[in-house]
Amino acid sequence: MELMAKIAFVVYTLLVLGGGCFAVGAHSLVRAMVGLITSLLGVAGMYMLMAAPFMAFMQILIYVGAVCILIFFAIMLSRADSHGVESGSRRPGKALLSALAFISPVFVIGWVIVNYQPESIRIPLEVPLEVIGKGLLDNYALAFELISVVLLAAMAGAVLLAFEKKGRGAE
Amino acid sequence: MSPLMMYQLVALGLLAIGLYGIVWRKSLVGMLISVELMLNGAGLSIVSSAQLTAADSATGQIATLFVMGLAAAEATLVLAIIVVVAKRFKTTETDAVSRLKG
Repeated sequence: MELMAKIAFVVYTLLVLGGGCFAVGAHSLVRAMVGLITSLLGVAGMYMLMAAPFMAFMQILIYVGAVCILIFFAIMLSRADSHGVESGSRRPGKALLSALAFISPVFVIGWVIVNYQPESIRIPLEVPLEVIGKGLLDNYALAFELISVVLLAAMAGAVLLAFEKKGRGAE
Repeated sequence: MSPLMMYQLVALGLLAIGLYGIVWRKSLVGMLISVELMLNGAGLSIVSSAQLTAADSATGQIATLFVMGLAAAEATLVLAIIVVVAKRFKTTETDAVSRLKG
């Protein structure tokens, strides 16, 4: 079983990082979204490996089911052509800037992760769903209600923004 | 190498890819995809530290649920912004959208 878990971890790692690289590097935005979905599914598999199946289902439902569909709508509504705006030339030195943007934080956080590691549990235990539900309605009820309000405000704001009247400040 | 460290390093990899992408991408949709990658790394990091240490597991999973909810709200708003930008400027390239108007 130990070996199976290691093989599964390696496969999921390849899915997550490979999908992520594809999502960032692909010229076509639709292909980038396919890479994002691969990466999200890999993360869902890692949640299963960590004995958190509820998180895996929520990952697939919310991210793959809702957020990716939203991104697909964004691609369609912005009329991005199939070659994409991404394939054009970039300013010189942009690759260097992009590399700089991630090297310093990754170096610092990676150093902390490698050097200050708390004791790890080898076999994680699954939390019963009732405990999560009770926590949401008991200790974290305020945060739960607030996130509902945030979602409602975001939806209302999105509708308000997208239904802008013609001729008012339009270019 | 402990299991916790391996999961944290994968989450760090997602953060790195997202940071690279948000600078490298030229269109708003590409940047949105990079932000989703980074938020996923955050979720993976929180769940791994909740499940694989002595910390309370339920709290970590609830925190990740909140991260997912916030990601959904953020994606909705960015979709609306992209629609408005595409209507006004006929493109979603970030270099083209550089004019402020009071």
